[in-house]
Amino acid sequence: MFTVNLAIMIPFIAALIIPLVHKKVSRSYIGWVVFIVPAALFVYLASFIPSMAEGNTIVHTWNWIPSIGINFTSYLDGLSMIFGLLITGVGALVVIYSIYYLDHDEMLYHFYVYLLIFMGGMLGVVFSDNIMVLYLFWEMTSISSFLLIAFWYHRKQSRYGAQKSFLITVGGGFAMLAGFIMLYVMTGTFSIREIIASVDDISAHALFIPAMALVLLGAFTKSAQFPFHIWLPDAMEAPTPVSAYLHSATMVKAGIYLVARFTPVFGGGEIWFWIITGVGFITMIWASFNAIRQTDLKALLAYSTVSQLGLIMSLFGMGSAALYFGYSAESVVYTQATFAALFHLVNHSTFKGALFMVIGIVDHEVGTRDIRRLGGLISFMPISFTITLIGSFSMAGVPLFNGFLSKEMFLTAVLNISKLNIFSLENIGAMLPVIAWVASVFTFVYSMIIVFKTFFGKYKEEKLEHQADEPKMGMLIPPIILAVLVVVIFFFPNILGNYVLSPAMSSIYPGFGPNVDLGVEIEQWHGFNTELWMTIGIIITGIVLYLLLKYWKGIFRLFPRRFSFNRLYDNALLFIENRTTNITNMYMTGYLRDYLTYIFLFFIGAAGITLIYTGAFTFDVSNDVPVSMFELIMVVIMLGAGISILFVKSRLAAVLLYGVLGFAIAVFFVIFRAPDLALTQLVVETITTVLFLACFYFLPEWKKEEHDGRTKMTNIIISVGTGLVFILIALGVQHGQLFESISRYFEDAYELAGGMNIVNAILGDFRAFDTMLEVFVLVIAGMGVFSLIKLKSRKGGRKIEDQ
Amino acid sequence: MNNLVILPVLIPFFTGALLILFSKKQRIQKIISSISSFVILAVAIYLAVYVYQNGITVLEVGDWPAPFGIVLVADMFANIMVILSAIVGVVCLFFTFQTISPKREKYYFYPFYFFLLTGVNGAFLTGDLFNLFVFFEVMLIASYVLIVHGGTKYQLRESFKYVIINVFSSMLFLVAVAYIYSITGTLNMAHLSERVAELEQAGALNVVAVLFFIVFAIKGALFPLYFWLPRSYYGPPAAIAALFGGLLTKVGVYAIIRTFTLIFYHDAGFTHKGIITAIAGFTMLLGVLGAVSQFNFKRILSYHIISQVGYMVMGLGVYTTLAVAGAIYYIVHHIIVKSALFLFAGATEKITGTNDLKQMGGLLKTHPYLAWMFFITALSLAGIPPLSGFFSKFPIILSSFQEEQYVIGGVALLVGLLTLLSMMKIFSYVFWGKQKHTEEQAKYPAGKLLLPIVPLVALTIILGLAAEPIFSYSLMAAEQIMDPTHYIDSVLKE
Repeated sequence: MFTVNLAIMIPFIAALIIPLVHKKVSRSYIGWVVFIVPAALFVYLASFIPSMAEGNTIVHTWNWIPSIGINFTSYLDGLSMIFGLLITGVGALVVIYSIYYLDHDEMLYHFYVYLLIFMGGMLGVVFSDNIMVLYLFWEMTSISSFLLIAFWYHRKQSRYGAQKSFLITVGGGFAMLAGFIMLYVMTGTFSIREIIASVDDISAHALFIPAMALVLLGAFTKSAQFPFHIWLPDAMEAPTPVSAYLHSATMVKAGIYLVARFTPVFGGGEIWFWIITGVGFITMIWASFNAIRQTDLKALLAYSTVSQLGLIMSLFGMGSAALYFGYSAESVVYTQATFAALFHLVNHSTFKGALFMVIGIVDHEVGTRDIRRLGGLISFMPISFTITLIGSFSMAGVPLFNGFLSKEMFLTAVLNISKLNIFSLENIGAMLPVIAWVASVFTFVYSMIIVFKTFFGKYKEEKLEHQADEPKMGMLIPPIILAVLVVVIFFFPNILGNYVLSPAMSSIYPGFGPNVDLGVEIEQWHGFNTELWMTIGIIITGIVLYLLLKYWKGIFRLFPRRFSFNRLYDNALLFIENRTTNITNMYMTGYLRDYLTYIFLFFIGAAGITLIYTGAFTFDVSNDVPVSMFELIMVVIMLGAGISILFVKSRLAAVLLYGVLGFAIAVFFVIFRAPDLALTQLVVETITTVLFLACFYFLPEWKKEEHDGRTKMTNIIISVGTGLVFILIALGVQHGQLFESISRYFEDAYELAGGMNIVNAILGDFRAFDTMLEVFVLVIAGMGVFSLIKLKSRKGGRKIEDQ
Repeated sequence: MNNLVILPVLIPFFTGALLILFSKKQRIQKIISSISSFVILAVAIYLAVYVYQNGITVLEVGDWPAPFGIVLVADMFANIMVILSAIVGVVCLFFTFQTISPKREKYYFYPFYFFLLTGVNGAFLTGDLFNLFVFFEVMLIASYVLIVHGGTKYQLRESFKYVIINVFSSMLFLVAVAYIYSITGTLNMAHLSERVAELEQAGALNVVAVLFFIVFAIKGALFPLYFWLPRSYYGPPAAIAALFGGLLTKVGVYAIIRTFTLIFYHDAGFTHKGIITAIAGFTMLLGVLGAVSQFNFKRILSYHIISQVGYMVMGLGVYTTLAVAGAIYYIVHHIIVKSALFLFAGATEKITGTNDLKQMGGLLKTHPYLAWMFFITALSLAGIPPLSGFFSKFPIILSSFQEEQYVIGGVALLVGLLTLLSMMKIFSYVFWGKQKHTEEQAKYPAGKLLLPIVPLVALTIILGLAAEPIFSYSLMAAEQIMDPTHYIDSVLKE
């Protein structure tokens, strides 16, 4: 059966097939083959629109790892539908565009594989009900974005941008993962629907706020919210189709999707409201302000995207206020904010997609996108100019374009919220319309920059790499389609509103019941209200500011790049690199002595502390057998021999002293009536001593090592400490006979194994396996020594493989 | 009783012995060793199936009854380890065929290789503490020889440190065995478990537990005992580095998990959640910091071993069934991925002649298969889904959150990010950027080098996409070792 699960898989399957067949398909067709995937999926998803409009949802589960509750459940509802249509729709257009944009001698199939992986990942993010699966796809979009940004990987800036975006988004992803795990700890499920259902039980849980913060961290990094927005401008190193697709229309909206999806879980409280609204507003104004200073058109668009994302984000924040009231006539005023968010989300994808594509065309045709080198292109590229005009004016919120409608709704929402008396809004609520208005003015100014600096003014042919000209028609078709949509949506917004946006509202407000219509009738004209006056103000102020731009541009010098978040990121990376090197070099000195010092100190510390902590060092000697004179003498001899080893000057003497220790142990065995052991010990000791003597004969003189006082002191402390710990433990483990030792069994060696000597019976029969293996160790050692002597690289230490 | 249990030890033992006879005939060596490595794998899988169906299987060596004689015990945990050692054994062997010099082959390289596997498999399967010591010795002596095999100046210098530190740990091992014998009067691990339980792990037993921990922590390269690792793994040929990096340190981890679930589990609040968790955190963190600081392919990987070992031990430290299952899954994942990565480093070195990241570039264009296989494996190491790395970290972190140990869980996530940073550094330097190798090097056919690694990359994908079977196996294995009565009953037949 064809399910949404399969739909998510299709791009991945296609991505697997392409490397296998790319050599057989002509390079000019490969893009068209890829195009089929998003186009077909778009049609497939669109076929569900009527059903969704009736409020249906479709759930389908493939079992994956049921033992930890991770199953691949797809969930198609109004909210995921919007995103699904954007992903496949814009995806299809971008693929067409890329066919003409990329040269045929580039690694085309790599590009399409990345793109398909992204597409599948993005579909997975929006259609997954299981948050772990969502996370999986989330990371997949980060990875494909990483690869796409660095598509031209020979450029240093591309690699830098790729790494930056990857670290920030994956870092946020890890935070989000932690948040998801906390949600699981609280609710015992990974299913979003089940989590939403159990929301009342968890809102007082201690992990509720941390989980919220962590999930938001994931959303903010992905959607380039302040201060994580810094990755997006650097991501513009990617080929333009990628910027249009991932970095404006889809991937950067994953964070917004997440916020929308989790509004029923976390929304309704003050913290959620303020974090999202606040971050949204700051992002919006800061990015729109910064967009004006950009000279690279793509960077300008990147900042503009950041600002627009902030706008949408803040709308979702404001919309969450409705949850505070529950379903009532009053709260519907605030759900309109959410509706506006969804509306602007779609609008932004249309106009920004068109703008990116046109800027890409300009770059492609004249070889630059620096506004200082551009100008006067209108007579050479009239179609491109028209698209730019439509896109920019829509972004600026000018009537006749869809951006105007959603912008008006945004202003309405802000005005409504500012009148609220909850969440401490009574104090700062009045600030919100001001911020929104100022940000909109900036937006207007940079929109004008895009149009006028590029297409008007003087044509500077000498600064361009190619003569300006319209591109191939195929490259123009995708932006034209988007531009047409911009206008069509303005005139017929309610088709979109009723069939696509309204169903999503019940996904965000599931608690309001299934049959509640939260849709909004969108009107082009609603009289001369405050919003309209604000818009008129924006346009007039914007025009004035644009004309006077060169007089106030100096203001940007107040924000030196030295203190930017970009610099912070760079310094942090540098810091990590230097610091880790310092830390690592500090202890990895390369000297065995240091390593052993650490190891022994740890041994003394760990064993010693445990000894004290568990009280094991209390031992009782009163029940022990009294020490006889003879034993005492042996101990003194052994101590003497041991200490003397440190002071003797030749190896020979040292070996002999070791021998004394060994033989003394044998004597102890005799005293304690273990003749079998004593015999064995004597034999072993004799052999080793003789062997040592034989070997040492060939070694050079023993050179005394010279150490300074400090080193000697450390050595003394460590050796005394180590010895002490060993002795204390040895005394501690002497509890008397708590258990019967298994060695009693071996005392019947004669009956069991026919051995007269217990040691021999143990070595040769009971535990012969050990003995065999120990002999084996000797064999290996012998062979090892042999090969070490024979197989030596010559002087200079060249590797054997090189010879 | 079943002689099947000893086969994973005996086959490499006799193979190694046989290969000594053919040390000058490289073709015969290759034929014998490849056949044998596959036989070991087949036996390991057969044994696993057998144990899966019939429960824990025990062999009393020489027919001396437990707890007096030596027992070999195959439970689910030991079995998966034996399978992994067999897999890595096959892969590294075939990679060796492609890369090793004939000179090394003539001087018993293959016998040592199989002796090492003998020791490793024995350490997994033994049920006797002293026998474990002996198998450690077999493994270590073979590793000493392999790590210095070839005798370059660098190898000699760094191997010396490796040997000295390991000799100390062996000595400590022996002393610890003596201490515990002195308290409990037994060496059989099942029997030990019973007697330690009777004493409720009081007093000096805790100290002995710490001693064992130190011993195995030195082998397993835990903080602050891992100093021998980064440099000594740099010297030997790639196949050996891969075998060591993948398998050898994990024997130490295995021994820690075994002893601290079977014997020393009574004071989990102090030993597990206290000491072990803290050490796991430092191991993870300092290991990854070391990796981030390096600009050398193999060195980065070496430091990552340390950091990854931290995760496994963290699973033990959190000490729930899920966490231990995660630790087992992690070991499986790590052995596969880490061996593969070392082999990639070897392949890259073979092509470019260097390990220095700054002297490489643009390999994506000339060796795309190498690039993508590395990329997948690197992501897996960093714990990106849907690869095996994610499903091994995930249960551990989940359990730490469930047990309200947020700090260690947070550290684990942070370490994941830093791991990613350093792996992306490798990818960015080696495979992206401008080509720095010569045209001749660019034409180097890497296919033969990569072929042995393919199974490992396939495994890391399969272990992710089809995680359910191995994960439920890990869960079952974890349940088995979390309840020592299974083990005790099988061995002592009470």
